[in-house]
Amino acid sequence: MVPDIDGQLHHFTNVGLYDGLFVMQDSETKTLWNHITGEALYGPLVGHNLGPVGNLLQMNVKQALAMDPKMQIAISDRIYFAGGRQFGSAGGPPNGGTRQHGPNPNAEMGDRFVPTLGKEDQRRPRMELGLGVWTSATHRYYPMERIRERGQAFIDQLDGRKVLIYVNSDTNTPAALFINASTAKIQDVEIRLDNGAVVRDGVLFDRGGKRQAMERPQQVFSRWYGFALTFPGCKVFGE
Amino acid sequence: MRKASFGQFSKALGMLLVLAGVGAICAAVSFAQANVSAQLPNGPAKLGFDIQRFSSNSGIFKTFSVEQTEPLQKVLKDGRVAEDTPVLVTVTAAGNFALLTDQMVFHHLAQGHAGGKDWMAAF
Repeated sequence: MVPDIDGQLHHFTNVGLYDGLFVMQDSETKTLWNHITGEALYGPLVGHNLGPVGNLLQMNVKQALAMDPKMQIAISDRIYFAGGRQFGSAGGPPNGGTRQHGPNPNAEMGDRFVPTLGKEDQRRPRMELGLGVWTSATHRYYPMERIRERGQAFIDQLDGRKVLIYVNSDTNTPAALFINASTAKIQDVEIRLDNGAVVRDGVLFDRGGKRQAMERPQQVFSRWYGFALTFPGCKVFGE
Repeated sequence: MRKASFGQFSKALGMLLVLAGVGAICAAVSFAQANVSAQLPNGPAKLGFDIQRFSSNSGIFKTFSVEQTEPLQKVLKDGRVAEDTPVLVTVTAAGNFALLTDQMVFHHLAQGHAGGKDWMAAF
């Protein structure tokens, strides 16, 4: 997102919940903002947007370096764990010190979240995990179970373009990537496309092994309620 | 103005779930917070937005103000991350850029300036 409004830098903080999702507030005008779409929700800047939003992709360090060997990183003073060691000094350990591998698919919504919800879409279970993808014309949710039913990698159409929907096997997170192929199949840790291209460590290579430029649609790994309340009436893949 | 305010600040961060997945994943979190509410303007509201459903968290989450970055290769070589350490990757005007997932579960927001442009990441 771009934190500039009318050319002026604004400073944002997570200040609370709405629809079970965290809400941002800028300190300059106190306006509340949707953290997924960047839309102003309440306050004097309603009508403004912090777009383009951009993706925040989940991966691991190995994949990040495969994506770009010149990748930069910023590390704050918060405690974190890496390679079995603890780093940082501020705050408590993440997740209360319990090691977790991704979000809990069987989690229940906390009591504090429920009163903030709007009218829920009952088509899917509230806490189901999946990939939300959106363009200006299409809002679509891919439940994890449907991605797995399709072999963890398949091709769909998004606004007339072919898009690969897959599960990153290292992080168990779903992702979407525009490609030029008709079928996809996971083989070992690679996704093989019928045009000879391969997706390995989240990077697209052509049949000759040459790295290809990648374009991804806007996407978010989200629970159903979050995506459905953000994009009411969204399509659900397979329905 | 606000319908729900959280109770006592206790074990708030320790109960956070991993992988907020841009917030929506974090919904199972049950955290208590100090009884201090965010300052709110007096509207207006986007069509359909109901301020009565907004619940303040008293500002316990601190945005990561990014002042400097370093090459991920170097950080890996130094042993400050491992190959399997989860990261969140975005693009700024200066190129690809990673944040530690463990840290962003707390910060939720990171802001900085790169390649001559301001940027912000929300998780």
